[in-house]
Amino acid sequence: MQITEKVLGWIDWFKLLQGNLRDFVQTRGPNRNPPKLRLWSVSRRGGAREKSPRTIDLPLRRMDPAAASPATEPAAEEPLCASSVLDSLGAEVLAVMSPVSICMALVVLLISLLSPPSSGSAGGSPPPVTAATLVYLESPSDTPAQKLLGALLDAAVFVALVAAVTFVLVALYYYRCTGFLKNYMRFSAFFVIFSMGGAIAAAVLRRLAAPLDAPTAFLLLFNGAAVGVLSVFASAVPILVRQGYMVALAVIVAAWLSRLPEWTTWIMLVALALYDLVAVLAPRGPLRMLVELASSRDDELPALVYESRPTVGPATSSSSYASAMGSVEMQTMTDSGRAGGSRYDRVEQDEYASRAVVEMRDLGRGRSSIGEINRSRGSVLQMDNLEREVPVTSAELPSNQGGSSQHAVIQIEQHEEEETAPLVSAASTNNAASDEEHRQSSSSEPPLDFEMFESTRGIKLGLGDFVFYSVLVGRAAMYDLMTVYACYLAIIAGLGCTLILLSICRHALPALPISIMLGVTFYFLTRLLMEPFVVGASTNLVMF
Amino acid sequence: MTVAAGLGYALIALGPGLSLFAGVVARKPFLVLTLLSSTLFWLISLIVLSGIWRGFLPIKSGTWWAYAILIITSVALQEGTRLVFWRLYKKMEEMLDAFADRISKPCLSLTDKMLISLAGGLGHGVAHAVFFCLSLLTPAFGQATFYVESCSKMPFFLASALIALGFLVIHTFSMIIAFNAYDERKKSDQIFVPVVHMTAAVMTLVNLVPGGCLIGTPLLLVTAVLTLQYCWRVACRRLTEHQHRQLNSN
Repeated sequence: MQITEKVLGWIDWFKLLQGNLRDFVQTRGPNRNPPKLRLWSVSRRGGAREKSPRTIDLPLRRMDPAAASPATEPAAEEPLCASSVLDSLGAEVLAVMSPVSICMALVVLLISLLSPPSSGSAGGSPPPVTAATLVYLESPSDTPAQKLLGALLDAAVFVALVAAVTFVLVALYYYRCTGFLKNYMRFSAFFVIFSMGGAIAAAVLRRLAAPLDAPTAFLLLFNGAAVGVLSVFASAVPILVRQGYMVALAVIVAAWLSRLPEWTTWIMLVALALYDLVAVLAPRGPLRMLVELASSRDDELPALVYESRPTVGPATSSSSYASAMGSVEMQTMTDSGRAGGSRYDRVEQDEYASRAVVEMRDLGRGRSSIGEINRSRGSVLQMDNLEREVPVTSAELPSNQGGSSQHAVIQIEQHEEEETAPLVSAASTNNAASDEEHRQSSSSEPPLDFEMFESTRGIKLGLGDFVFYSVLVGRAAMYDLMTVYACYLAIIAGLGCTLILLSICRHALPALPISIMLGVTFYFLTRLLMEPFVVGASTNLVMF
Repeated sequence: MTVAAGLGYALIALGPGLSLFAGVVARKPFLVLTLLSSTLFWLISLIVLSGIWRGFLPIKSGTWWAYAILIITSVALQEGTRLVFWRLYKKMEEMLDAFADRISKPCLSLTDKMLISLAGGLGHGVAHAVFFCLSLLTPAFGQATFYVESCSKMPFFLASALIALGFLVIHTFSMIIAFNAYDERKKSDQIFVPVVHMTAAVMTLVNLVPGGCLIGTPLLLVTAVLTLQYCWRVACRRLTEHQHRQLNSN
């Protein structure tokens, strides 16, 4: 139920918000030392590429403003501009927002599919008995006061339960029962996918009138659940599969929880948001203790957490060795549907010379002519000039959306190492993001002293956040689509605010309060104010 | 068949927006964020507006002047929102430029700025289409269709989808015109945008007349096409000017 520590490229941008640029400039500026050749040989070991003459050219880089002819200079500026700040900025944020959006969309789809078409209001079937309805089960005939009281009691009990369970988990983690915790998580993942997911799948099949025989269904379900269990903690599983299972888990739980009665849902959401606020921010809050424990132990969080970027834990170096045969697999897998980079990856396996040309073309986007013309000698200089920019690009380009420029990072790792090191140590861990990409793509390199960042990279969002966002949107979907859109926008805005706060505070923050409060506010505003207005206007075909 | 009809209506309203999103906006995360924030802006303006008008609802049918007042206030408020959005964008542009400067990259180019304004406009347009058309489209996925009294020739869903399409185009591209106008401090374009918006909104008043939707909807679409064409001219002019300036400076 929290966003944990991260390393963000776009934090750089928000540092501008705070106006403390000085340390940024200082750490970034003067540390451009010549490359470490030792590292070069280490990192290139797997790739079997020869050392390029470019490393020798490096000292020349200082002079290249004179070398590069002034005529080409503005022309060179312009295309780079197109690939400038805009391309990369905010990719981190989007890497969190898009799975949340997908999760919410799936829940809304499920709910609108499963809700009986005849009765407009909340489902015809009796709500299930869950932990949230232990005390009071809402019935439509109750008075509002009764409903409110009952819902309050329900929410109190539910939050108390959640708090108790969290404390137990924290205690277990404190006494290092990590094995038990992980097995428990695996069991719960299996249980959720197998039984709850099975029930939902059965309902969907029934609704679509699609017959499926029991053995097939059982086999599919079992296999799905088994892969899900494997993917929960084993980092050898492709990150996309893992992320997919996280979203699937959230969808299932949310679809289940959104069958709660209406009042109970609202009160429970608000209560959970408040609980989250306390649990993460209070000095002895359970979630805060959990996060601090995990970060002090350099360990993964023992919880179901969505990670927006692939992590290569120290334990999985064998698997990363395997995938380091070609960084292609890794790259395309993490590419999340954007297959643009793989072409260049393959090219990267070729000789150095051709690769350089390709990269120039890709980086400059339309600068290819220049690269083609003075390829022989001057291009080396210009390329160095170019690649001075590249590390910055990659630091800003966390979520692999330009596969090609990441490879540029791998190449210049050598002179970059000097730049990132002070940055990392100097409180602002901006470039650790790109560091990880180095590790990722050229993971043939043994992890040196970077393990400590390994576990705390990328934005992590607890699965609980996914669930309760989706519950909110699902509940809104039972009223009307208009409230769905309003709630979706409000939640995303809240998430954005939380991320901004995260970049300022730099410690784990509760992700529920802002989003849930905004979502609930927008729901009622939409329902009470906007709906009659918009419906009144648009049913008369008067719009503006 | 019914699902097909519903999807068809949705695609009529949102198809161009969808392709713009997939082709231009989705490639750059920052543009997606711009789009989301501009959508939120529009939603907030709509909520404020409905909060103001809540006391006067429902408007009796036949009182067209009430609708006229409603439209005038709405357009005024939304143009105000655009101004606020421009102010915020200006601040953000400064920050982006400073940021680009820090990481030794060139500042935002003209096309970048235009892309941002496109994303902002698309946010407004999509929000309009979503709240005025898509959220009422649920029954279209069901068995029957629906006609309003004053428009007996065309299903309500088709009419609203067409109107939403018109407004999507108008909102999207008038944002580009407006941002360019603010940027150049060109008064005529600055006035052009509210005028087009108001004209389009007033044209929907024609739909109140029985059978008026057969005239009002095409008129609205013509307005949309005019906006598109004007935006094209503005963009072409600015880009060629930019190029000339660059050539001259070299």
